[in-house]
Amino acid sequence: MYLTDRDKALLDGIDGEASATAMAALVQLGEAFDAADMVDIGYAHVHPGMALYKGDVELIESLSASGANMRVPVSTNIINADVGNWMQTGAPKTLAALQKRSEAAHRKMGSSGCYTCTPYWAGHWPTWNMHIASIESGVTAFANSVLGARANRDGYFATYAGITGRYPRFGLHLDENRRPTHRIVVDAALDGTTDFTVLGYVIGERVRNGVPFISGLARRPTLDEMDALGVGQATSGGISMFIVPGVTPPYEATAVADAALDEIHVTLADIRDIYDRFSAGDPQDVDLIHLGCPHASYNEMRDYSQLLAGRKLREGIELWVTTSRVVRQMAAESGLLQPILASGAKIITDTCPMSCHFARTVSPDPKLGVEAPRLRTVMVDSAKQAHYVRSMIQCPTLLGTARDVVDFAVTGDYRPRF
Amino acid sequence: MGRSWTGRAIVRATASGPALLSGTTLSFLGDLDIRSGNVVEESSDLFGKSIAGSVLVVGSTKGSAGAWRFIYQLFQHGTHPVAMITEDLPDPSVVQGAIMCRIPIISGLAGQILAAGLPQETLLNVEGDTVSED
Repeated sequence: MYLTDRDKALLDGIDGEASATAMAALVQLGEAFDAADMVDIGYAHVHPGMALYKGDVELIESLSASGANMRVPVSTNIINADVGNWMQTGAPKTLAALQKRSEAAHRKMGSSGCYTCTPYWAGHWPTWNMHIASIESGVTAFANSVLGARANRDGYFATYAGITGRYPRFGLHLDENRRPTHRIVVDAALDGTTDFTVLGYVIGERVRNGVPFISGLARRPTLDEMDALGVGQATSGGISMFIVPGVTPPYEATAVADAALDEIHVTLADIRDIYDRFSAGDPQDVDLIHLGCPHASYNEMRDYSQLLAGRKLREGIELWVTTSRVVRQMAAESGLLQPILASGAKIITDTCPMSCHFARTVSPDPKLGVEAPRLRTVMVDSAKQAHYVRSMIQCPTLLGTARDVVDFAVTGDYRPRF
Repeated sequence: MGRSWTGRAIVRATASGPALLSGTTLSFLGDLDIRSGNVVEESSDLFGKSIAGSVLVVGSTKGSAGAWRFIYQLFQHGTHPVAMITEDLPDPSVVQGAIMCRIPIISGLAGQILAAGLPQETLLNVEGDTVSED
C-alpha cells in the first residue's frame, strides 16, 4: 500500500504513541483488503466504550490515556445506560457509573459526546463525496445513501480513523463498489417510518450484501423514512448503501434503467410477513412499549408529542421514547417534551431497550452486579428494534406504527398493522 | 516436522495450538458463549466444542459490524482462538477484532487443510502466511 510521507511519519510516532498504533492498525487493515492507499476522512462516528462488555470502557480509557486526540469531527455511538437519568430505566448504579467513565475519556480526546445511533439528527451531517468512518451500520447506510458521503460498515477502527484522519481506500470508498447490484421493484403502498423499516428488512433479507436500486416508491420518502429504510436493510442484511433514484446523490431518476440487474419484487404480502413475524407477542404480556429506533429525529419527537398530547397511559404501562441528548434539547425548547411526560411516558437518551441492561447476550464484569430482568413482550415501532429485542433481550415483540402503538398504550386496544 | 501449507496472511502474527477443524460457517455473533468459548449453535459441526486456545480452521466466518467486539470479548475472557485459518477473506469487522487482539489470520487455506485429513487437535504452528504440523 502506498503511504504518504505524513502517513509514514505518523507510523514513526511523530504525533505520539496513540497515532502510531492507530496508523499501524489501519495499514494492516488496508493490506488485508488490497487498498492502494489511504484517503483523508472528514468525520468519524466511533465506539463509545460500552459498560455491558467486559474491559470495553477500559479500552477507551487506555486509548485516551495514551494521548489520543481526534483530528476530525467525531461523534459517539449509543451506550448501555442513560447516564444522566439511569434510575428511570431501573439500571444498576454500578453500570451507570462505569458507563459515565467513558464520557470523560472521550471528552479528553475531543469527541463530541452525543451518544446516539443517529448523530446526523444531532448535527453531524457529512456531505457528498466526503470519506468518513462509522461504527454504526445505520449511520453508514444513511451517509452513503442519503448524503452521498463514503463509508464502510466499520468496527472499532473508526476510532483509529478519527485519531489519524486517514482510512484505507477499499469497499465503498471506491466508485466501482457504489454501483447498483440489484433492482428492487416495490409494489406496495407504504407510509411512515415503521413501514419503511419493514421494507428495508425485506430488502436486506433478499439481497444480503450488495447495493440495491429501489424503484416503485409512490413518492420521495421523507428523511425519516430514508433513515428507516437504511436501518432495516443494515439489520437483516449487510447492506451499507442503497440507491433511491432522484434522492441518492448522484443518481438521477433515469439511472441504471438499462443495466442488467437481478430484479426483486416486493409486494404487500412480503411487508405483511415481516409485521407478522415481529408480532408474535401477546398484547396481555406487554412489559414495555418503545418508540424511537433508531433514536428519534426532531420531527419524530414532534409526531410522538402530538400523538400523546392530552392523553394518559393506562395504569402500569411503561412507554419509552428514545432520542439523543441534542434532539431532546431541541424538543424541550419547542415545548414538545411536556405532552410526552404528562402522558406518563419516559424520555430516555443515550441508550434504548436492546442496548441497555435488558440485553442477555452481553458479558459484563460479574462485579457490576448487572442482572437482566425477564421481559415477556416488548412492543416497538421499528423492525430494527424488533429484530434485536428478539435476539438480544430474547423475548417476543409486537410491531406497529407509532400511532397504533400509542393507541394501545392509552386504550389497551391492540390493532395489528394488517 | 510434518506438512506445511501456505496461504495469504491477513493478520501477520505467530501462534501455536491444537487444530479445531470445521466444515460449517461460524458466526462470531450468536454462535458462541463468550464466557466459555463454547459453540452453542446447533447447526455448527463444532456444537458443544470450545474454540478457546485453538487454531480454528473454518471455511468462512460470518461477521456483522459487531464481530470485532465479540472477538475482543472472547479475548477479554481468555476464550479466543489463538489463530484463524479461513478459506474466504473475513469481514472487515472480523479482521479488525483480530488485529486488536493480535490473532493471526491466514485466508485461502482452510479448504486445503480440511482436505488433508488432519485429526482434530493436531498441533499446528502459524507463522506469517504459513501453517505447519508440529
